[in-house]
Amino acid sequence: MLEEKHNIKAWLYLAPAMILLLVFTFYPIFNAFFLVFLRDFNFLAGSFDGFTLTENFVYILNKPDFKKALLNTLMIVFVSVPVSVILALLISAWLNSIKKLQGFFQTIFFLPYVTNAIAIGMAFAFLFHRNYGLINTIFNWIGLPSINWVGLGAGYWSSMFALLVFIIWSGLAFKIMVFLSGLQSIDKQYYDAAKVDSTPRSRIFTKITVPLLSPMIAYITITSIIGAFKEYTAVIGMFGVRLGPAGNDGALVTIVALVYEAISRSGSDGAYSEAAAASIILFAITLVFTLINMQVSKKRVHF
Amino acid sequence: MEIKLEMLTKVFDNKEKGLTTAVDKLDITIPSGKLIGLLGPSGCGKSTTLYMIAGLLKPTEGKIYFGDENVTDIPPEDRGIGLVFQNYALYPHMTVAQNIMFPLENLKVPKAEAIERAQEMADLVGIGELMDRKPKQLSGGQQQRVAIARALVKKPRVLLLDEPLSNLDARLRLATREEIKRIQRETGITTVFVTHDQEEAMSISDEIVLMELGIKQQVGEPQDVYDKPDNLFVAKFLGTPPINLFDGHIKDGKIMIGDANIGQLKTDDKEVIVGIRPEGFSLTERSSLKVEVDLVETIGRDTTLIIENPTRKGETFRAIVDAEKRIKPGDKIKLNVKPTKLFVFEKDTGELVN
Amino acid sequence: MSENRKPTLSKKEQAARKQKIIRLVIVYTLLTFVALFIVTPFYWMILTSLKTAQQIDRIPPILFLKPGDWQLRNFALALQAAPYARFMMNTVIVAAISTFGTIITTVLAAFAFARINFKGRDFIFMILISSMMIPGEMFVITNFMTVNTLGWIRDQSFIDALAAMSFPFMTSIFYLFFLRQTFKQVPDELYLAAKVDGTSDFKYLLKVMIPIAKPTIITIIILNAMGTWNAYIWPNLVSPQNENYRLVSNGLRNAYRDLSGQVAYNEQMSAALIVTIPLLIVFLLLKKQIMRGVSRSGIKG
Repeated sequence: MLEEKHNIKAWLYLAPAMILLLVFTFYPIFNAFFLVFLRDFNFLAGSFDGFTLTENFVYILNKPDFKKALLNTLMIVFVSVPVSVILALLISAWLNSIKKLQGFFQTIFFLPYVTNAIAIGMAFAFLFHRNYGLINTIFNWIGLPSINWVGLGAGYWSSMFALLVFIIWSGLAFKIMVFLSGLQSIDKQYYDAAKVDSTPRSRIFTKITVPLLSPMIAYITITSIIGAFKEYTAVIGMFGVRLGPAGNDGALVTIVALVYEAISRSGSDGAYSEAAAASIILFAITLVFTLINMQVSKKRVHF
Repeated sequence: MEIKLEMLTKVFDNKEKGLTTAVDKLDITIPSGKLIGLLGPSGCGKSTTLYMIAGLLKPTEGKIYFGDENVTDIPPEDRGIGLVFQNYALYPHMTVAQNIMFPLENLKVPKAEAIERAQEMADLVGIGELMDRKPKQLSGGQQQRVAIARALVKKPRVLLLDEPLSNLDARLRLATREEIKRIQRETGITTVFVTHDQEEAMSISDEIVLMELGIKQQVGEPQDVYDKPDNLFVAKFLGTPPINLFDGHIKDGKIMIGDANIGQLKTDDKEVIVGIRPEGFSLTERSSLKVEVDLVETIGRDTTLIIENPTRKGETFRAIVDAEKRIKPGDKIKLNVKPTKLFVFEKDTGELVN
Repeated sequence: MSENRKPTLSKKEQAARKQKIIRLVIVYTLLTFVALFIVTPFYWMILTSLKTAQQIDRIPPILFLKPGDWQLRNFALALQAAPYARFMMNTVIVAAISTFGTIITTVLAAFAFARINFKGRDFIFMILISSMMIPGEMFVITNFMTVNTLGWIRDQSFIDALAAMSFPFMTSIFYLFFLRQTFKQVPDELYLAAKVDGTSDFKYLLKVMIPIAKPTIITIIILNAMGTWNAYIWPNLVSPQNENYRLVSNGLRNAYRDLSGQVAYNEQMSAALIVTIPLLIVFLLLKKQIMRGVSRSGIKG
């Protein structure tokens, strides 16, 4: 009856999901922690030369590409996240303050969310084209010289700038969506009360709206940070597998890019352990933010 | 179908609270074709009892009989019961007709017959016109009727209702309780319903079973239980406004409240609790119960006097008297007590003193 | 005298009204700028896809094209340059397999977690939830080894490629969690009522839970299908050799990987548009569903 346990029946329902999760989620987690301790593991040959505690970590941490990847990733995190969160907050507040055309703007702002990152990345690259791009055209209109953003021999900062614009553009949609639904759920009484006290609008925004929205802002900020640490597709979309402007290959490499690069070298010694080490480092970084997130979202999410 | 509960016990094993006995050695016989109200405050075990009769909960001990058949270990679907939930539990995505027909699907009743029976039931409960509506489009009262129709459509031996009126507003509640009574009379089905509202239970039940803390307190026809409560709990639980209680004593066969003698009872001298129904008072010229009126409430034909309780400091008691004589706050009056509205309980156990 | 009786606004009110209008003008202007920022890449994509090679080479670039000048031929050329019909079909097949698998596995498991009482339920669920914080890159290493060991990479047949692309994505802890939440909101009494009527658990799931959870299930289908349409990394990893096995994103990137050499930008943008449009159509058709689903689920599909 009600309180009885139905173990066999439950496992019949669970089996399909559990088998897949075991093979494709749980075993890989353990295996990553196994691979990282193998010395010169060769996947195709299936061979390795004993175990090591730190060699793989030391190897990847000393790799010049890793430092580059870490710096690039940190750049993406610390520029794209604050900019897109603040922009999204402002945009959603503007959206929330209008009635006419609200739905229209909302739809427009949502478009990046339903876009293929590769396709739109290519469009962005062309938008930043030295000769034929719209960005330089606008620059010329206002009297600025053309810049080689992403073309052959383009510099690091210009291509990083273009990449950041693309990443911010892609991330706005979801954040606006969440903030707007948060704003719409704020009780109108607070605003009425503020009006009665003739509070100026800017003060209403900073003293009422932002604090009431703070759980959502925290949630979005932290999930965005975690997402930004895993950035890779945007680089592929804009620059292709060369991960940088032509002639400056690998300039925009990220941590995740290193993982995939290592996986693609399936025949070489130590490549998979290197990938495992990189992914574990990534895990350690995101874990810190996830734990913060869990503390914050305890109030928000009810398991 | 007579229902017999024998030493029925339910113990819950809760992680936080440990073992709790929700129902304790319950012995009840529910006569066939009657409407029985299981009554008690929340947490008294009445819903647990109903769920055990339904078969949704397994008794820790004891047996349940439907007629001569022991159904204790029979799963709910084979007991032949219809169950109506407090929140009606209508399937929100199905129409009224689909909801009522759903139980018949499991019984493999042919479609045409199912439609016919569903319509018949819908007509009986008075929602025959609403068959194509979704539950969301119905009022609370109509949803209630759909739930009853769904419970009755498979022709159960027993109909069980869990707090059937508590989700309705006051006016609908009156109408619906008459409706439930009518449906029960027309179908003649043995019906058990659970409620915490004594007025509701008293008004439509053939018999009420009063429970507290998992233990049966009293069983009987509503008026009998009201007139002859077995103990203090029963006396307190039934009746609005509630019974008045005084700390009194017995002296030489006289029931005393302070110095006032208000009745006779042949028993040993002792401290007792005296219960007097509000309607058990009358104004008189000659009585030793002299009081001063604090407040007067006149509602229609009744005048309620609110008077300081002479035996309990800070408490008041209520006396309902005829409105003929105008009484003002501050008046000093003398009260007579009707022997049939006067109950004497043991101070320690709360049992009625005979 | 009569002029005086006309309702006139006080100075304060007039100032307030003026201020309100100015504020609205500013807000609409700002929103329009943001909208232009969002739309520009799309516009540039469409514009470029309609230009001739000569028009592309113009400096400064042409910013508007009359409908008569549209080079719709570019789309035909783009479709010839790479088998996009094939890519789309592959993508639809992979999306269908993984979405179907995800729905089946997550619905069943979510039902068990939401409705069935079994030993270790809360513990197992907690393990699943906590594994959500592990980055997918960590699985990819071993998953690549696994599909390789299963023989889906070397001498890859079409079926192998489909299996390698879909199998790891036939379930999802997040969707399982999402569905369990939905199932949990169905009142217990509905289940008890069904039990009293002799409904089996499976029939209850099929006839009551799934219809009630339909909006959530549709959201999952949309998000999952969108995810496959945009998937690049994993398919690229497991199916690099045969061009015929590619999904749309991979086809796009691999066919036009060069930014420096002689690239036919108009064809490239036509191809990008061909990949973008189906998703936009789906979005415009299911706008409400998708937007509500996304704000409820809180993730990117």
